[in-house]
Amino acid sequence: MRPELWLCAALLAGAAQAEEKLISGPGSTLTENKCRICHELKHIQRAQLSPGEWADNLKNMKERGTPMDEAEMAVIQRYLSTYYNRAQAAPPPSPDTLAGGGDDPVQKLLNAHACVGCHAPDKRVVGPSFREVAAKYAGDAGAAARLAAKVRAGGVGNWGQVPMPPNPGIPDADLQAMVGWVLGNK
Amino acid sequence: MRDHQGSLTRRGFLRAAAGAGALATTAGELLAQAAPATAPGTMANEDVKAGKAPTMEWHSERPLTGSVPAHEHDFEVTPSQRMFVRNNHTTPLIDINGHRLALKGLVDKELSFSVFELAKEFKTVSIHGMLECAGSGRSGYQPRASGTPWLPTGGMGCPKWGGVRLRDLLQAAGLKPGAAHVAGQGGDPGAVATAAPVIRSVPMKKAMDEDTLVAWAMNDAPLPFVHGYPLRLVVPGWVGSASTKWLHTLTVLDAPFKGTFMDSSYRIPRFPVEPGTKMPPDAVSTEAWPVKSMITFPAPNARFKPGEAIAVRGKAWVGEGSVDRVEVSVDEGKTWRPAQLAKGSGRHAWRSFTYEHKAEAPGYVTFLARAWDDRGNAQPALPAWNPLGYFWNAWHRVGVVVAA
Repeated sequence: MRPELWLCAALLAGAAQAEEKLISGPGSTLTENKCRICHELKHIQRAQLSPGEWADNLKNMKERGTPMDEAEMAVIQRYLSTYYNRAQAAPPPSPDTLAGGGDDPVQKLLNAHACVGCHAPDKRVVGPSFREVAAKYAGDAGAAARLAAKVRAGGVGNWGQVPMPPNPGIPDADLQAMVGWVLGNK
Repeated sequence: MRDHQGSLTRRGFLRAAAGAGALATTAGELLAQAAPATAPGTMANEDVKAGKAPTMEWHSERPLTGSVPAHEHDFEVTPSQRMFVRNNHTTPLIDINGHRLALKGLVDKELSFSVFELAKEFKTVSIHGMLECAGSGRSGYQPRASGTPWLPTGGMGCPKWGGVRLRDLLQAAGLKPGAAHVAGQGGDPGAVATAAPVIRSVPMKKAMDEDTLVAWAMNDAPLPFVHGYPLRLVVPGWVGSASTKWLHTLTVLDAPFKGTFMDSSYRIPRFPVEPGTKMPPDAVSTEAWPVKSMITFPAPNARFKPGEAIAVRGKAWVGEGSVDRVEVSVDEGKTWRPAQLAKGSGRHAWRSFTYEHKAEAPGYVTFLARAWDDRGNAQPALPAWNPLGYFWNAWHRVGVVVAA
């Protein structure tokens, strides 16, 4: 591919990732964060299934290894059957009253930017736990800047062979707040 | 542009392969030259795409899926750059030097091979064979199914494959009584530690078919990374998922493998069901593709002059048996006329057809193609809806403009 085409494709991929959102509603954050671990959300957006087909689909995804428990599956099943059901129009967007972290502002950011799909405070989901990240950078004066750059650029190799995707679209203020919080997770 | 660690070696290799000619005899040596120079890892999508035709349409980034439309398939042998891509996870980079294939299960003696040992110890063969994703054409179904929205004509290709026959490996190991299925397992890492391994099994009859290969070559070159380097199954004519990429383990079983890629995916109702309903409990595993054809020339909405002869071209194939004939209609299926069907270059290769149409008056002409197999099956106007959107084989339709 010609270099300019490659650049164009890379920019488009970045833009698509930044804009990828499901209709906001109870359960939308959890659904986004679990499904996005392995595939793009457009697989959901362009599929308009019946509740029964969504149940089969979720069972299939659980078998394929999605890290979600029964309670989480029930939330996702209800969400998808409400907002991506071919038999009925989706209700208007509303706040996701089921999003984890309540009103904590940093938790809201971690949800909004899909960090929690792959990272949890104290256990490995896909990527390292926030505590592991904090431990790695403990005592490093330049940690905040370097971690922020890493979140922006994505990468592979520090924590295994599963790549972290780049996150070009996160606003600076959000990124600083999240990085500060993560590094404080000791 | 980022240059992939293997690509320089690969370009050097391709020149060597072109000069070397016969793949089968020299494959062992050539493969060594193509080995990635650095540690195994994962290949970035940009690097996969850099090795593909600019006309590839990418349907999804994660997992990576893409194909070219029908009018970009106007080749007897599908060039590797135009072969469809359908991953379950990421594209692994595997070092051929450390790679081994294990053969175990219901066999007299378990075996293990490096790729080079396979090439040395067994007869190497080359076939021209179809692979097509089970969901190829899925976007034609209404209501929509979940999964990759392949175009009606995307998601297939007919390249040349080189390797050894699976049956030779099975015979070397010796089958125990009750051996009924052979499961292939690939080494593509999932995004999570809990990800189910990609394992599919095929019945012994298909495993023993002389065209079912453990392959290391595609179009006289090593498999591209995204197509399974260094080793894959090639189960031609069957749903693509049977042709496990990045193959590292073959297990002989007494029954179909039990796992999500057999029991929840790649299934189709035994009999047609009401569109929009759930998968019935008596569904069966998808196996051979039904008869199918597509028009590869002209491209949709191509321009022709009144009085011009339009040489319509296309391909026809079927997973089992053979294509009997192809017909073309220019009156929306009221009448059908026979196309010229070329001989195939193998039991599992697609066959080219041509049909000449003289454009008379200005207007819009629509060509429909319909293939028949040797068992009396024809492509339907619309195939039966099924919950996962498999086996789309409707008449292919291409319209052109006739204007002065």
